[in-house]
Amino acid sequence: MNTTDFLSISSAICPDRDAMVFEGERWTYSQASERVNKLAHALGELGLKKGDRVAMLQVNCPECVESYYAAAKLGAIFAPLNFRAKVDELSYMIANAEARMLFVGKRYVDMARAMLPSLSCVEQCISIGSKEADMLFYGDLVSSSSADEVSSEIGDEDITILMYTAGTTGRPKGVPLRHDGFVSYILENVDPASPEIEERNLLTVPLYHVAGIQGMLAATYGGRTLILMRQFEVKEWLETVQKERATRAMLVPTMLKTIIDYRDFAKYDLSSLQVITYGAASMPFEVISKAMKVMPWARFINAFGQTETASTITILGPEDHIIEGTEEEKEKKLKRLAQSIGRPLPDVEVKIVDEEGKEVPGFEVGEIVAKGSRIMTGYWHDEDRTAQAFTSDGWLITGDRGWIDDEGYIFLAGRGDDMIIRGGENISPEELEDVLHSHPKVEEAAVIGVPDPEWGQQPRAIVVLKEGETASAEEVMEHCRSKLAGFKRPRSVAFVDSLPRNSVGKVLRKTLREQYGQP
Amino acid sequence: MNQLGKRFKCQACGTEVLCTKAGEGSAVCCNQEMELQQPRPLPSSD
Repeated sequence: MNTTDFLSISSAICPDRDAMVFEGERWTYSQASERVNKLAHALGELGLKKGDRVAMLQVNCPECVESYYAAAKLGAIFAPLNFRAKVDELSYMIANAEARMLFVGKRYVDMARAMLPSLSCVEQCISIGSKEADMLFYGDLVSSSSADEVSSEIGDEDITILMYTAGTTGRPKGVPLRHDGFVSYILENVDPASPEIEERNLLTVPLYHVAGIQGMLAATYGGRTLILMRQFEVKEWLETVQKERATRAMLVPTMLKTIIDYRDFAKYDLSSLQVITYGAASMPFEVISKAMKVMPWARFINAFGQTETASTITILGPEDHIIEGTEEEKEKKLKRLAQSIGRPLPDVEVKIVDEEGKEVPGFEVGEIVAKGSRIMTGYWHDEDRTAQAFTSDGWLITGDRGWIDDEGYIFLAGRGDDMIIRGGENISPEELEDVLHSHPKVEEAAVIGVPDPEWGQQPRAIVVLKEGETASAEEVMEHCRSKLAGFKRPRSVAFVDSLPRNSVGKVLRKTLREQYGQP
Repeated sequence: MNQLGKRFKCQACGTEVLCTKAGEGSAVCCNQEMELQQPRPLPSSD
């Protein structure tokens, strides 16, 4: 079975139900399936074949969903790009993926034109939302092709998505994700489309994020209506839930906080929301407590996972969010709510190991590692970082540290590496440091994460200026803003005389965090 | 009985099937009728 079967199944079970809703327009499962087939035929006629990469540079929209399924039907690999990235970063990802085709949303057309001359791999560029003289037009491709079912040989273990994620070192890493990785999760955890049950999923998490893809695939198999928002905006989110009677939503902690703190929150009817899933970053206890209080009708789920695991591997379920029982039970539940990511899902193994990869006893802190059929087998064209990602016996090192209690609940105990997680987005300190080092006045620099009540963490630059130079914090931050996606830039700068280093010259980030890590 | 969208499991070999087109027949595996599966009690996390 592969992910394109999800669309075929739901189109058979509930053909007349809305598959997608976007800015007032609606497409039923039958219509969506037809459009996907038409696009797949068009892409096939343009030469796209099994194993080719198709990159997508656009905010969430129906065309992103259709393009995924159309590419997948041909056995091609879909590479959704972070639309907040800058030209340099995007060029790197497209070249690394060796994408043959590039889909471009209207607002990114100029960026694409700036990149294309240096991207010899891209043979066709397809614009979405506007006709461009030098590009193919998505609307034309979908309107002019056959709607017959497309079939091609797709193996369960074939790669279907190439997703880029920030590492702690250097450039983003390509994570190849297989059909069976997603199918394993979906079949184990999601009920298939039913003529009697109608669910509506409001998707604001970007489709370049694995949680967005997971939500999209689960919605398709579940026969759910996928309500798409270009990007998260609090007022629009509240209005959309109310208008479309959304039954479920996935949010990162920063989004949930923004929603419940919104001044007009109480004016909206959100009673349709049955399930709210949160994840991608640590959830402040005050935020989830308040959310449960102001939306007592909703069931909350904390989902923990990462791109390398094809999304969720552990959940803290709705029953763990009901604080009832004896005082002792309530205390236990409150502790879990504050710190636990719950228990592993049935199709994945998770354990805590020491530095040698040996499992540690309960309640002892170690590295969280995972194994299972949907864990990635390695990074795209990167043997070195692949080797570093696994233990000697093949367990994926998640980069998170934690411990496990006597009932199998896993508790987080910070990152095992230097990754900064801001509002659910991973930021590589080293990538930021490379940009800081390119500033003509900077001698050396290091980047750490500092706690932030709204975003979880914010990057802070610790900078040593060249002798005799002066620079303002704003100047340093602006330099980074011009070269990197906006969310990655440092939000504060500390100027120091020198960076602490160990005997072999490595910067001691732990010491920096102790000295400069307070908000 | 409308079986559309229903999952059935073989109690003998564990095979699961999903009905995508309803009909009069019933699902049989290992010489016995397959068991209708109920919706999962825990909502999925997406």
